[in-house]
Amino acid sequence: MIKTIASRVWAFFKSFQLTIVLLALLMGLIVACTLAQVEMGTQGAVNAYMRSFIVWHQFSFLTFQVPTFPGGALVGLLLTINLIAKTMDIKLIWPRAGMWLIHVGLVVLFAGEFVAGMMQVDTNMSIEVGQTVNFVQSYKNAELALIDVTDPTWDEVYSVPDTQLARGGAIAIPGTPITLNVKKFYPNAQLSNLPPGAPPSMATVGVGAGVSIIEQPLVSADNDMNQTSAFVEPVAGGRSYGVWLASVALGAPQSFTHEGRTYLLTMRLRRQYLPYAFTLKQFRHDVYPGTDIPKNFSSLVQVVNPSQKESREVLIYMNQPLRYAGKTFYQASFGKNDTLSVLSVVENPGWLLPYVSCVLVSVGLLVHFAIVLRRSLKRRQDKKEG
Amino acid sequence: MTFVQKYLAWGAGVLALLVALIFALPGGKARGFDVSGFGSLPILEGGRVKPLDSLARNSLLLIHSRQGFRHEGRTVGPDEWILDVLFRPQVADQQPIFVIDDPEVISLIGAKQTKNRNYFSFVDLSTHLDEIQKQASTAQPITAQKRTRFQSAIVNLFDRVYLYYKLRNTLQLAGSPGLGWELQSLGTADAALRHQDLTQLAQFRLLPPPAGAGPEAWQSVGQALTSAAAGAPLHPGLVPLAKLNAAYVANDYATFNQTLVDMNNVVSTLKPGALGHASNEILFNRAQPFFVGLSIYFVAFLTLCISWIYKPELLRPTAYALLLSGAIVHTLGLGARIILQGRPPVTNLYSSAVFVGWGVVILGLIVERMYRKGFGTAVAAAAGFASLIVAQNLGTDGDTMEMMRAVLDSNFWLATHVTSITIGYAGTFLAGSIGIAYAIRKHIVTKVDVETDKVLADMAYGIICFALFFSFVGTVLGGIWADQSWGRFWGWDPKENGALLIVLWNAIILHARMAGYVRERGTMVMAIFGNIITSCSWFGVNMLGVGLHSYGFMDKAFMALSVFIASQVVLMGICYAPARFWVDKPHSKA
Repeated sequence: MIKTIASRVWAFFKSFQLTIVLLALLMGLIVACTLAQVEMGTQGAVNAYMRSFIVWHQFSFLTFQVPTFPGGALVGLLLTINLIAKTMDIKLIWPRAGMWLIHVGLVVLFAGEFVAGMMQVDTNMSIEVGQTVNFVQSYKNAELALIDVTDPTWDEVYSVPDTQLARGGAIAIPGTPITLNVKKFYPNAQLSNLPPGAPPSMATVGVGAGVSIIEQPLVSADNDMNQTSAFVEPVAGGRSYGVWLASVALGAPQSFTHEGRTYLLTMRLRRQYLPYAFTLKQFRHDVYPGTDIPKNFSSLVQVVNPSQKESREVLIYMNQPLRYAGKTFYQASFGKNDTLSVLSVVENPGWLLPYVSCVLVSVGLLVHFAIVLRRSLKRRQDKKEG
Repeated sequence: MTFVQKYLAWGAGVLALLVALIFALPGGKARGFDVSGFGSLPILEGGRVKPLDSLARNSLLLIHSRQGFRHEGRTVGPDEWILDVLFRPQVADQQPIFVIDDPEVISLIGAKQTKNRNYFSFVDLSTHLDEIQKQASTAQPITAQKRTRFQSAIVNLFDRVYLYYKLRNTLQLAGSPGLGWELQSLGTADAALRHQDLTQLAQFRLLPPPAGAGPEAWQSVGQALTSAAAGAPLHPGLVPLAKLNAAYVANDYATFNQTLVDMNNVVSTLKPGALGHASNEILFNRAQPFFVGLSIYFVAFLTLCISWIYKPELLRPTAYALLLSGAIVHTLGLGARIILQGRPPVTNLYSSAVFVGWGVVILGLIVERMYRKGFGTAVAAAAGFASLIVAQNLGTDGDTMEMMRAVLDSNFWLATHVTSITIGYAGTFLAGSIGIAYAIRKHIVTKVDVETDKVLADMAYGIICFALFFSFVGTVLGGIWADQSWGRFWGWDPKENGALLIVLWNAIILHARMAGYVRERGTMVMAIFGNIITSCSWFGVNMLGVGLHSYGFMDKAFMALSVFIASQVVLMGICYAPARFWVDKPHSKA
């Protein structure tokens, strides 16, 4: 009984019907996702169609969302199972060698996409010419940084990620006597000058006292940024230092002093400090003569890594990223009249998998088609002779 | 095939090549002026050095939609036109070259739309320039996809008028007494202002880098005058240029042709090689290999169609020979582009159409050699013709050898990824065309011919495998390129999705066939559907947004794509329908 059920399930998962149905569903999803990008932006459409298990739709005459289509994640998962089942089912004989290579290659490709989806971290590094930077920063996520600047040669940075701020409550900062009470947290907000006669701000000290704040929905477009903000009250040694407004939208950090130590308080894009530093020596933005058509962007960077006793120059330009210590640095953007270079930084442990897959599948297709062609030529030959 | 038949067949092919050669011969003089010699002068425009002739052709194509026009009973070619625009704007302003199709724009400039009145001269438009500029400047901030039809049309007209305006103020300010007067009045009161205008309005730079300047420091007339006024030595090209100007205005062709020799000497002293490169390109411009190629394909296709009812023994090889000479012309054109541009074959949408056509024709020639049924020739000639027509329509946006933006500036990836993808397109289209041929044949031919059906099915299957290979490899290489330049392998970008759809569809066909869900007819129906998918991912992606916004919906290319898709759906129906002659044999059940 169990055996029959198991063999039926097995038969279902390795069937051609399932392959074809799933491929067709995937095509439908891709078309829908592509069309939806016009309205929702690339990221929004990909999240709704490709990275979800079910595609939901809000009909105007209903108050709730209705599942309308299996999502990309579900189709992808089933397709992977189908693919693995199928690959295992291919007999290990020479005439099937091509098929086997193709399908193993596809499994690797799917695995690569899975690893990228789960583990890839995208950050960036903005450097001005002559500046040295030893951190990468997030595109969207913020952090509340508490920086001890008492020592003029050394900043001690303590940071609280936005996800922890969102939970609220009291957050003790390890290594300092300070506890931060999160009074209110805004994932995205709009700041403006407090109009006369309006109710007073929650902030009692700093610039925040003169600012009115309105909560906003999270942005979805790829180039927009959330103005993450929070009201926090630093408490140390039983004494409150007032309620401060910290926001990505506010420029200069604010400071207070506790027992002779000066602390800066600022909300900024989340940073990850690196054990090495980049100095931008030169940025080039070349155009074709007589036009504005960009010909080349490149950053000449000095990489200094004390732990490796390494100090060398690297030229990062279009289609020529720097792969260093598990991260890849790409020339992405520029600004400030060509004195600022923005490198996008990607950390993806599975970056090599698509390359492996490409080789496996290409070789597999060639082998398979060669086998088929040989068989068909042989058949024609036999027919001629017979 | 008898000897005579063979002789005649190859004779037709050679004749076609001779016709192609005639196109490449230099044209005669216009009114005694060596206009094509003037058109061979190298200039710097759009970031690359090219002959003036290329600029003239592309500008006329933009403004007029053709490379020549009839005026006062004779045909004016691009080289003569550009001379008039540059040196005799008062004459060029009278020529009705601005084509306007949009009725609302026509009514804006106050002319009633009549059948023959879609062409306007600069003089016709000159009284409405303020209104055109006002309307265009309100429409310009709106992104191209969100403009209404009127807004797109007025912006388009404004761009063309502005291009014309710049051209007529590039070598001399229109309305001024000419370049000679400009040279005499160096250093006078308002000369500096005029030099500034000339510099700003210059559409191209004609004067090669003077001795001691950088290799890319070509100068416009305005720049050269400005530096001369500032005390630098006079650019050696200015005096002959002023003479050419005066001679052309005075209708003195002898002096003009004589001075042209001096001008060429100046150019070859300052920039050796530029003149040679420009004359190679001008040869390519004149030969119009893709236009000639599509004409030969058309004749080949017609010959093959006739061969099915009349003298097949003679006409089928003739059609094959014609297809071969079309392919030779096409290949030479493609090769010339690669050499002139120094790039792999596919660099933009235009060149992808040229390359897809080439791929289909070459595959068709191979298939025809293998099976010799005439189908390879028919399908290749028809598809080659169609794709070159598409290319001709895509090539009206200006220079088709434009410079590559930084991220695309990689010959390695252009050669591998882009070429593979495009070969994949070609393969999918060829399989689809074979499907169409199969469908039509099934309905026309009364005799049951299992053998031929089988051959067609084999061809289609083989080509689908071929297409799957190239589209898959091309797509993955694209992912790797994206990984190299943006740090992500796959981003669900519309163009990537389009490529993936082709891969998936070809994979579905092969799996369905392998599992036995479809046989001969089913495979063919699916192959025709491949045409729809390929055309959508090739062009549809570029007009995404167009189809979903306001009046842009009526965009010409969008209409063409819709008609194509509808025709393919009908053909799928025809292929699937059990018609009167469609004998329902067991082996052909879908």
